[in-house]
Amino acid sequence: MPPSARADGAPYTDRADEWLVERCCESADDGAFAELVRRYRGPVFRLAVSILGQEFAPEAEDVAQGVMLRVHHSLRSFRGDAKFGSWIYRIAFNQALNVKARARYRAPHVGDQVLATAPSPERGPYDQLQHEQRQQAVLACVGELPEVYQSALRLHYWLGASVSEIAALLDAPENTVKSYLHRARRLLHAMLAERGFNAR
Amino acid sequence: MHDDEVMDQLLRDAMAADVPQLSPAFGARVMRRVRRRRLKPTGRVVMALYIVVAAATAVWLMRDLRAESIAAAVAIGVPVAAGASAYGRRLAVGD
Repeated sequence: MPPSARADGAPYTDRADEWLVERCCESADDGAFAELVRRYRGPVFRLAVSILGQEFAPEAEDVAQGVMLRVHHSLRSFRGDAKFGSWIYRIAFNQALNVKARARYRAPHVGDQVLATAPSPERGPYDQLQHEQRQQAVLACVGELPEVYQSALRLHYWLGASVSEIAALLDAPENTVKSYLHRARRLLHAMLAERGFNAR
Repeated sequence: MHDDEVMDQLLRDAMAADVPQLSPAFGARVMRRVRRRRLKPTGRVVMALYIVVAAATAVWLMRDLRAESIAAAVAIGVPVAAGASAYGRRLAVGD
């Protein structure tokens, strides 16, 4: 049965996650699982990208695929205590952290610094150099923050995620996410000052 | 300007790189990997027939062997087969 086909009257797209999970477990319904993949592939990928950072972004798709296969393998162990989304995001978070820990030992595909130093025609060479150095310092400092802060910052500033989206992905209340962002900025300010950069 | 706002702008500038996109074939690729892990009914019947024929052939081939030799063959063969099966499954899942 194709993913968009109807099962028991309603299309899969109208069904709740829990119904689709049940259908996968009881009837091994590929259409139901395809719908879960369609719903969660984007958020899982964004979460993986936010944890891996710009330098290891190419690995994010592999992480997302691994998460989907692991979810398919473990669907029967999903007890429904938490939301399906929280469950899959927790798997994605842990899997991305594992991949990041392994990837650190390899050379990055494209460094954060390279991506952040696109030449600006409006600045002179000296200003441009200073600007690049400061951006490199910012990205280096971001990489030293706790993982959850790094993820929140990248989701917000790089991937353009709203606070409510970050809250769903990190399974935290919105106020906590706001607090993560605020604390991360304060920490960065202090770290930059330590390195001799004036944030202004 | 407040420090928090300055840092906000600094972060926006520093993270202005292109946002990576998931490839359009992602869903199809995942479903292909998922389907590969399950045998169709015909495949199950073929596997069951193969197991029955293989077991009968093994018993027939070992009919003249001593009990110790059969025990040794089973002791070596079973773990090797289990290991190969687990390895094959891991390759299929991509872990």
